[in-house]
Formats: sequence, C-alpha cells, structure tokens
Amino acid sequence: MKHEFRVTVGPVGFRIGSDWKQPLDRMRRLYQGYPVPDIPDFTVRLFAQRPWRKIIRPSVTIGGDYMLPDAQPMALAHGLLAAEMGMNLQMALGQRRYLVLHASAVERDGKALLMTGESGAGKSTLSALLGERGWRFMGDEFALVDLENGAIHAFPRMVSLKNEAVALFEAQPDRLGPIMHITPKGTIRHLRPPEDAIARMEESARPAMLLFPRFGFEPAVREMGEAEVFVRLTQASTNYVALGEAGYDALTTLVRSVPTRAIDYPDTERAVEAVERLWADLG
Amino acid sequence: MTEESKNENGKDVKVPNRRQALMLGAAAASTVVTVRPALAQTAGSILTCEIPVPDPGNAGNYIAPDGTVVAPGTPGAVPPPGRNLAGEEVKQALRNGGSLPGYGYEQSQAYTNYIRRLQAGQSGFTCYASIQMPRG
Amino acid sequence: MTEAVFRADPPDARRCVVLADGVTVVYHRPSGLTHILAPPAPEVLAAMSEGDADTGTLIARLERDHDLSGTDDLRGTLTARLVELETAGLVWRP
Repeated sequence: MKHEFRVTVGPVGFRIGSDWKQPLDRMRRLYQGYPVPDIPDFTVRLFAQRPWRKIIRPSVTIGGDYMLPDAQPMALAHGLLAAEMGMNLQMALGQRRYLVLHASAVERDGKALLMTGESGAGKSTLSALLGERGWRFMGDEFALVDLENGAIHAFPRMVSLKNEAVALFEAQPDRLGPIMHITPKGTIRHLRPPEDAIARMEESARPAMLLFPRFGFEPAVREMGEAEVFVRLTQASTNYVALGEAGYDALTTLVRSVPTRAIDYPDTERAVEAVERLWADLG
Repeated sequence: MTEESKNENGKDVKVPNRRQALMLGAAAASTVVTVRPALAQTAGSILTCEIPVPDPGNAGNYIAPDGTVVAPGTPGAVPPPGRNLAGEEVKQALRNGGSLPGYGYEQSQAYTNYIRRLQAGQSGFTCYASIQMPRG
Repeated sequence: MTEAVFRADPPDARRCVVLADGVTVVYHRPSGLTHILAPPAPEVLAAMSEGDADTGTLIARLERDHDLSGTDDLRGTLTARLVELETAGLVWRP
C-alpha cells in the first residue's frame, strides 16, 4: 500500500495501510504522541476496489487481517471513520488476548467504571464527559478484560461523538477531527482523549462497577440479577464464544464480583450526578 | 458436575448428598438457555453493509411475495430492486414493518422476506445477522 | 413401552458456577458452548452423573436426594427437562 500509519492504543499495535494520504494525515494529527509499534498486532487496509475508484468518486473499502463480507464502501471524506471502523473490526474479530466488551470505561483511584449498552445509549458521550470531570478516560468503544487477573486494560481510541454530543467539546477544536455527515440524521466528529488518558494508557484498573445506561428516559436506577447481566454481557462481547473456557472464567468472575445497575437518564448532567452517587455507594 | 459453591466456612465443596427441596415446575417451562455468538455486536456498530437481492448468482430473477427466488415474470412476483439494499434501511423496515425507501409495500415485503430466509454462506447473510438487535 | 435412555458426559467435562439469583452457568468443554440453567435443570444434569438413565431412573435418583414438589406430572416435566438438555447438547441418547 502506498501510505502507512502505525499507532499503539493500550496494549494493541495497529498498522493502517491506505491507497490515499488524506485519511492517514488526519489520523496522524489526532493520534499525535501515541506510541508507535514496531511489530503491529493487526493490519487495517483502506483500498480502492477498482483502480479508478482511487480518483473518480473515490470510495474506500475496508480490509485488513480480518474482513467482513458485504461491507459497503465509504466516501473518501469519511476515510478517517473507515480507518477507525477497520480497527474496531480487527479487535472484534481477531482479539484473543483479552475478553473484549462493547463498553466504555473510566477510572478513579485504580478502579474502573464500565458502561455498556446498545448504540445510542450514551456510553461514549458519558465516558468522554467523565474524562473531563476528574476521571481518567480509558476508552469509549471497547473495554479489555485481562484473562489472567480480570483487570480492565485501557483502549483510548478517538472518541466517536455523535450529533448533540459534539457541542459539548466545540470549545476545544484542537481535539476534534473533521465533521462527517454520515447520514441525513447523523453527524460524527472524533475527539482526541485527554492528555492524561494517553499518558496513562498502559495502566490497568480493577473493575468496580458496571452500568447499563439508557438515554432519554426519566431518571431511574434498577438493580439487575446476575443471570441477566451475564447474558447481556455475552451479547456485548465480540469474542466471548471464541475464547472458550478462558472467556467463561473471565466473565463469570466479572459478573460475580462487580456490582451492576441499570440507569435511565434524561440528559448527561443528570447521568453524571447518578454515576457519582452510585460510585460513592458502590464503587 | 462439581459446583463451585462455598459452605459456611468459605471452603469450596462438592454439593453433599442430603435431601433438599426441589421445585419442578411445568413441563412447558424453559430452563436451559444456550449462549450464542453475538454477531450483531461484532458487525452492527462497525460497518455499514449491503445486502444484494437476490444474490449475484441469481441476478435478474424475480422475488415471490414469500421471499423465494423465482423466474422473471412469474405471476405475483416482483422484479429485483436493481441495487443492493443498505443494512440501515433494511433494519428500519424490519423493525417498523414499513416499506423500504423507493419501493412500494408489496416489493418491500417480498424483499424483506427474501432477506429473512438468508442462510450462512449466502451473500448478505452477515449483514442481515448484524442488523438484528439482541433482545433485552 | 421402553422409555428413551439418556447419557451425560462425566462431571469434569463441565464447569459450573452458581450465580446469586440461583441460576447455574455451565461451560461444556466438549462443545465450547455456555448454557444458563435454571432449577431443576442443574439438579437433573447432576443426577445424570451416576450413569445412563431413563425418566424413571432419573425420578428415583432425584427422589432419593430431594423432596420433589411443584407438579403432578413428574414424568412429563422431567422428560421435558431431559429433552431441553438434549437440545443443548448436554445429554444425548446413546
């Protein structure tokens, strides 16, 4: 591939190859200061399906060590998003050293708060906001559970902010990537994690609380049975089944040792309040 | 089966053979749930995907109302959409039971039934699996 | 009428963890699958560790170790449990 960019995020090294320079220039700017891997764990490729697709209505197909069929190519203007999605894909399909959970994570005093749930539930925005309020940001997309000791490893990639959440960070343009109008309903901008999150990305934390947030409802807190939590986490994991017995051990331990609540919230401020209250009680 | 439970002293023990109460419940009850791989999470939030209708090997054939692929001009069948269907629009149509953008009710029903019949290995199956939201 | 006979793997083919709400999470080593079992399924599976059994034998083993209640139809409900475990691959008909 003509152009290459390498970056280490938490314990994982990536190499991104690209037929175009622009997406990698954008990544270089946002990932400035991140360590660079000598030997990457995963390769992502951004390529043109047909030679003329490099130039005429350029469209980016995502490939790499692990690929999914049926993937829709993306416009070159969304190349940065394609690269991020490509990294997600490698982690989702190829990661075997950690149990991968679709969850955001923040840390305080060596203890991690995990937040998981459907897309749109608010886990990305909440983790980004808590990262500005005295918590160390560990990641907004994937939490990595150590198979030996159950610790949570940070994976602080660019935060995907959607729509209204972007406004919360507009006063810090140096941390923001280009505006990408993804669908008529959706806009994404990437946000660079706080500097302490990047500096401390190799510090793991013991999981101390798990939340299932839901955005857009009257405030409520609900306890959850361990069976429900276990099942929902198997669905929130990209590699639980592939990990076999090691995944079983890691997940059953997590479910039995970490207090869990479902929280509904109407806006992010109320969510932050609820999180702080629960952490004081449980964390 | 060695139950890894603890007795009153906190030591791991096999569950001893003593009479315990056991509630049996109805025959029709469901007491075993098997964990399935979460393909939805793997792909759904990661890539936008497309589903060709019908698969490329059947290009040009028509779709019957129940979603099976039939010869062009078969009575009651609709012509193919002429483009790949995007995962997002299929997800909305499956959720709401409504029409796919740009297609009428009958065509949309035929296409979504085609998609519901997809098996692993067929073009578009991964996309279809990824757009189904897990319950709860 | 001869009833179907079922068999389970020996106990060390499985890992079991009992969660706080009384449900058992089972990892089945031969298949790599994880199952969530609610009572009485774990007790039925445990009773199969003594060897092949049809429903009648299973009832005898359970009655020896438990006070059974909650149904008038022991055979029906326990056969149904065996069939559920069979669908999951945890027991089978040899």
